[in-house]
Amino acid sequence: MNADRRHMILGLVAFFSVGISVATWTRAAAVRLAETQGKAPEVATASASDMGYCTGELKVILRRVLTSCGLAAGPGSRGCQPLQARQVASMSGGDFNALFAPLSERAAIIEFDKDSADLDAAGADLLEKTFSDRRGASYFFVVSRASPEGSVEHNRDLSHRRGSAVLDHIRAKFQDPDIEQEVGLLWLGEEFAQLDQQFCQWHRSRVGGECTSAELNRSSFIAWIDCRL
Amino acid sequence: MPPEGYDTRVVLDSGPAVPYGLPAMPNAEGGQSEAAAPPRKTLIVLAAFALAGVVFAGVSSYDFIAHLDRQVHAITCSIVPGIGPKDASGASGCHAVLMSPYSSVLRELTWGGIPIALPALGVFAFLLFRAIDLLWHKRLPRRETQFMIAAAALPVLTSIIYAIISATQIGTFCKVCVGIYVASLGVFVAAIVAHVRAGAAEADPSGKSSSLGLWAFYFVEGVALVALPVLLYLVLKPAYADSLLRTSGLRHPEDKYGVMLDTRGGGQVPAIEVLDPLCPACKAFSERLAASGLGERLQVKYVLFPLDKECNWMVNESLHAGSCAVSEALLCAGERANAVLSWAFANQDDLRARGGGNQSAVYARIKQAFPELAGCVGQPAVRARVNKSLRWIVANSLPVLTPQLFVRNQKVPDEDTDLGLDFVLSRVLAQSAGAEGKP
Repeated sequence: MNADRRHMILGLVAFFSVGISVATWTRAAAVRLAETQGKAPEVATASASDMGYCTGELKVILRRVLTSCGLAAGPGSRGCQPLQARQVASMSGGDFNALFAPLSERAAIIEFDKDSADLDAAGADLLEKTFSDRRGASYFFVVSRASPEGSVEHNRDLSHRRGSAVLDHIRAKFQDPDIEQEVGLLWLGEEFAQLDQQFCQWHRSRVGGECTSAELNRSSFIAWIDCRL
Repeated sequence: MPPEGYDTRVVLDSGPAVPYGLPAMPNAEGGQSEAAAPPRKTLIVLAAFALAGVVFAGVSSYDFIAHLDRQVHAITCSIVPGIGPKDASGASGCHAVLMSPYSSVLRELTWGGIPIALPALGVFAFLLFRAIDLLWHKRLPRRETQFMIAAAALPVLTSIIYAIISATQIGTFCKVCVGIYVASLGVFVAAIVAHVRAGAAEADPSGKSSSLGLWAFYFVEGVALVALPVLLYLVLKPAYADSLLRTSGLRHPEDKYGVMLDTRGGGQVPAIEVLDPLCPACKAFSERLAASGLGERLQVKYVLFPLDKECNWMVNESLHAGSCAVSEALLCAGERANAVLSWAFANQDDLRARGGGNQSAVYARIKQAFPELAGCVGQPAVRARVNKSLRWIVANSLPVLTPQLFVRNQKVPDEDTDLGLDFVLSRVLAQSAGAEGKP
């Protein structure tokens, strides 16, 4: 083969090899792009938590409580009193407490002195720790109680003040603009859904002390609810 | 037409000159009675290095071109292409280099720009072609080897420049690129050796002008072989449809939780970047944005989206362990957030490794670097702020990925935040400026 022809053939081989390779790669990308256009990306969308314990029944109760006892429900419905709570829940006190059973790791019991609505340091600390551990939860429940000593009216008022103390502390500490939409407040006095001894195992602000039924109910039960309504 | 002084006949390696019907190319062998026989072994080595360059540049071009479909692809990152698994995680140096602003040129003119590996492919193909051609020669005039040295100097110079860029700007080396560097050096050294062994200077009857003519002819061939893949790429690459830019904006762009970090950038165009401080893609994105020059036109506010299960319920596994703690540090830092972010970007590997073990190790590292933040990180108040940042993400129903960029509340498509950033961002800026009647 003469030199010119060889040169030409080698040159053509180089041109075609490079050209065909680049053309093939580029068109393949164009075809793939055409195939994927219009398809929704397979990426999860950010959303609040919806844990397995959020059964239909629980969601119904939550919706009722938030509608009737939520802070955003209106001036006349800023929290629920014991009678309202009983009506809203439409269930016995035991069943009401049982609803919160799956929340044992997400809830805390802020304990108060007898006949007092003053948050102590341990209570404030546990409250802040629990509230800041919100994760993907959408709603925060504050359920305040009083032990049976004293009159029903006094205990109703006392539990109301305990719930308010908790809310005031959260408002002051966290300045959350959504707090009106996310908090459900119930004060139950001594009349409805008293906590029994099994709640002694839950996170309490006075872990070193005795855990009698009376001490357990001088409290505000707080919990983030990981349910989407 | 051949250069003046060249016969329109060819001289066969063995045999008489014969008429040649086609337009003749410069005859490199004519009248080379005093030229030495080709050092074949050296030319074979030269061809082998050129072939290696073709393979490495081809692999690099292929990986770049594959990304024109705007999807994520595993890329080759091996000194022996085809051996070993491809990098699908984006953790390799090859991925860092591919996604860096230095992997292509003219990025604002065409989506992704023109990959630098593409002309490299043409150059190595040309060098291979020349080496094989010379192997067939009976004589090897020094003007041939002089041209080879000049031609081989181009990839060597380019390799030196890119090696410096890799070391100083990107901070990592790509194995495929190292293959190209070695191939470049090999071709160059082999060309010099071939030149030395080519013997005494040729006695070319047509003189210096014929050498220049020959070199000019080869030069045109080389330019054509470089231009061919580039032109084919530009002609055949998918066009960017304007419809891709019609993305939804943020439903609640306002910062009602007070969680946005204001970078106080010098630009005028308001932008929000959703990022994870320990996400390598966010770091690379930040570097691309800075290198593009378009970032200077933005006034970016950051919203933190740590993809770490310690604080983020939206991920089952921590993609960037430790980023919750680093996010706390950023929120604690206030006006010094930029310094903390730069530090976090610079120490991503270390912080992620610590975060994979124990969060307290990340806190310890933060406190060591920024003692003034010791009283803030890990506290309920700042944890609640990180949570609010995540709630801002939820309120806007954003995809669970980072980074994300919104310019004047228009989202830069996620698929365009890497190779297509310069092209798409320049269009988004032009569109938004046009919509507001600004120059």
